[in-house]
Amino acid sequence: MTSLITIHKGLIFTIILRMTNDYHLSEDLTQDTFIRAFMNMKKVKSGEHFRPWLCTIARNIVRDHYRRNRNSPSVSFEQVEEFQGQSDDPIRRRVVIQDALARLTERDRMLLTLTYYEGLSLREIAETMKMTEANAKVCLHRARKRLRKQLAGYENELL
Amino acid sequence: MKMNSCEHLEKVIDYRLHRLTDEQEKEFELHLETCAFCQHELAIEQAIEEELSVKLDPGFIESKVMTRWRLRREQGIRSFWLYAYRVIVLGITAAVLAFILFPFLLRLPIKSFLEINQLASGLERLLGGLPQINPVFVGVGFAYALLIASSIFTIVRTRR
Repeated sequence: MTSLITIHKGLIFTIILRMTNDYHLSEDLTQDTFIRAFMNMKKVKSGEHFRPWLCTIARNIVRDHYRRNRNSPSVSFEQVEEFQGQSDDPIRRRVVIQDALARLTERDRMLLTLTYYEGLSLREIAETMKMTEANAKVCLHRARKRLRKQLAGYENELL
Repeated sequence: MKMNSCEHLEKVIDYRLHRLTDEQEKEFELHLETCAFCQHELAIEQAIEEELSVKLDPGFIESKVMTRWRLRREQGIRSFWLYAYRVIVLGITAAVLAFILFPFLLRLPIKSFLEINQLASGLERLLGGLPQINPVFVGVGFAYALLIASSIFTIVRTRR
């Protein structure tokens, strides 16, 4: 079980952090995801379905959290202010992209995170998102366009 | 050509997502060599991809997860025994009450409950007179049945 956590924690944490924009909350929700997964381990059909199944649990954990707390994820203003004072370009770029991602829908954010996180196939993405591969392709393209639109005017920070 | 009006702008995302055919890809690559705007757009797309593919690490959470998982399991086992204990106590209570209530409802002396013949005749009397069934008897019986069913359900759920 420990090895399962080691292998997948980066992916799960990335997905959750992209959805919540809160580092400490993401750490807690990552732990919750693994605990829920261990409790329902019998439900996973086979090894190849494990990763999409785990991603779906992470998505549901975040949804449940916001349903319980009745607020939606937002960019941490403390974080933005903290980074704004710094001249470090990669950090500024990260904040700008995080901010743009936060303005997208949950589905778009999830699609983009799954796509660019190393090693996830289109089949796995489609399985996690509960859609067909063709549909996932179209939605991904649209999500990319929407993200680009959100980043209009921030080109200097990106390059 | 104006800097922001390249007709191939839409193709940049398709190109990065490998959605162009081989022929379209080659054509676009040729165009890229000469179009400053598309080069700029491509650089932005690459920067976005680079940022999105950053691996974020939650640190060493393995021990925290395992500790919480063990605690959760222990709680599960503890609550299973707690429910089992409750069922046993309630069962004994029900049996004791039944031992007193049944003979009372059948209008028999308490001692007679242990004598099967008298109990059988008492039951016969009760069942023979169905329309006059004591509502208290039915109510208590129904409550017992409900209690046993809910206890079994709780145990099964806790076990899972």
